[in-house]
Amino acid sequence: MNKADELVGVVEEVALVAPTGHQGRRVTGRPLPVVIVTAAGSVAVLTLTGVGWLNQPAVAAWRTVCLAITVQALPFLLLGTVLSGAINAFVPAELFTRILPRSPALAVPVAGVAGVVLPGCECASVPVANSLIRRGVTPAAAFAFLLSAPAINPIVLTATAVAFPGSPAMVAARLLASLVTAAAMGWLWLWLGREEWLRPAVRHAGHRPGRSRWTEFRLGFQHDFLHAGGFLVLGAMAAATFNVAVPRSVLDTFSGSPWLSVLFLAALAVLLAVCSEADAFVAASLTGFSPTARLVFMVVGPMVDLKLIALQAGTFGRSFALRFSTATTVVAVTAGALIGGALL
Amino acid sequence: MKRHAQVLLLVLTGLGLLHAALFSDLCLRYVKEGLRPLLIASGVLLLLLGVAGAALDRAAPEAGPHAHAHAHGHDHSAAPRIAWLLFLPALSLLLYAPPALGAYTASHANSKAVPKEQRFDPLPATVPLPMTLTDFTARVQQDREQAVRGRSIRMTGFVTPAGRAGGWYLTRIIFTCCAADSQSVKVRMYGPPALPANTWVAVTGTWHPTGALGTKSATAALDVHRTEPISPPVNAYTDDLPLTPS
Repeated sequence: MNKADELVGVVEEVALVAPTGHQGRRVTGRPLPVVIVTAAGSVAVLTLTGVGWLNQPAVAAWRTVCLAITVQALPFLLLGTVLSGAINAFVPAELFTRILPRSPALAVPVAGVAGVVLPGCECASVPVANSLIRRGVTPAAAFAFLLSAPAINPIVLTATAVAFPGSPAMVAARLLASLVTAAAMGWLWLWLGREEWLRPAVRHAGHRPGRSRWTEFRLGFQHDFLHAGGFLVLGAMAAATFNVAVPRSVLDTFSGSPWLSVLFLAALAVLLAVCSEADAFVAASLTGFSPTARLVFMVVGPMVDLKLIALQAGTFGRSFALRFSTATTVVAVTAGALIGGALL
Repeated sequence: MKRHAQVLLLVLTGLGLLHAALFSDLCLRYVKEGLRPLLIASGVLLLLLGVAGAALDRAAPEAGPHAHAHAHGHDHSAAPRIAWLLFLPALSLLLYAPPALGAYTASHANSKAVPKEQRFDPLPATVPLPMTLTDFTARVQQDREQAVRGRSIRMTGFVTPAGRAGGWYLTRIIFTCCAADSQSVKVRMYGPPALPANTWVAVTGTWHPTGALGTKSATAALDVHRTEPISPPVNAYTDDLPLTPS
């Protein structure tokens, strides 16, 4: 952890040194040398002083897990930002209004089911949902898509079937509980959601006349990727901290009580931030817990976790991310527990 | 974050991914083999984007129409400060990549659930018999035929010291997606003193009788007759059969 703290410190300094006023001022050669000097300086400091404690077992394990989450998520984040950039620059806004039902209340479940088409894990869905809103899709429908896509795509469902051989009910329950949660959250947004919780940048459209669509695509893509990537690293650091600091053997102490175990596995899903393609295998390994608790783990995980909260805070704004994640957790736990109780 | 820094960041991230996935096997310390093509594609894409950005921005500097088009602060030409964090994984991959997970993680994890086998095939007659740690555990705890009784068995893995009580485990760490969802398989070793943690070894020995063989009460443990250090495998996150000794 120390390394990250030190590097973040350095990074912060760089960010302060490099002036951030960006309203049309010409840059005159200063940032690049500053960056290079600081980078070279921090590398020199690390090689001279740091190497010893960087290799302490706990620190090394933390670095490995943190880097693993980041590396694993980067291709999917790229896929998501490419898709969202393309939607922004090339897809006409009318297309979505034509496909989705007029009434927002009907558009929510349709968008939720449409989540089937986006393969991959949850990192891809945040930028795509953002671009859908920018293209005029009602936020409620976009959020239903955001929540359902990582949980119900064929890759994830196949992984679930492989992880729980001989219990197709688990796959069905996961599909159903995820869809119900996504739709419920969409409707909840229609009922209680306020536009001003969303960061202003989300609300206006991408393409402006007078600039080539390709330039638009490239700049939008670059901005979205760097932005979301930074938050991804932040979320990966938080998740890696819990991953390394909380020994798995603690888990078994909670498996006795049915209600506590459901809540505990929901919290674990949020803290561990396991990719949705892998969470079924983690759930299968939690053998001491009831099937319902494991179902809740798989319903909550793709919808709310530390790296997703960080990504959403970056994309939609902090006040949105906190409210939305809290509400989603409550709805997902309820849906998972009810459907698990009925089907498993 | 300024244009130059953004270009630098894209190029470094792209190079880092290519370094880890294309020019070395570094990525296998963090993610599964199957992700490699995606990592290479991402690396190429980021690198191209960075180079294109550098070339195009030079051709049309920032005084373009977009520099002042956005008065309300969402300017696509300036990435937010949080993006600086991306330098960490990029530089870490390029300069100082952390090792694969090892004894520290294994000693803090609980063991992987061994799948229930419906029926066991007869064991081959090879001496010593190469086995994976998972297979061995399943045989010891589930095989009613007790086929492993008295057999000389050869397994490979790394050393995880058993804490204060002394002794050690032969260990493998396995994951499905990335190192964040790792699980470990451990077999207790009896006999020789523990080698330093994370040493890769091949051990040969027989089942250490504790509990009733073929039932849950049996523990996966081995009376070690011989250990020899081996070089770590390229992909450490598998539970492979040891190579048959020549």
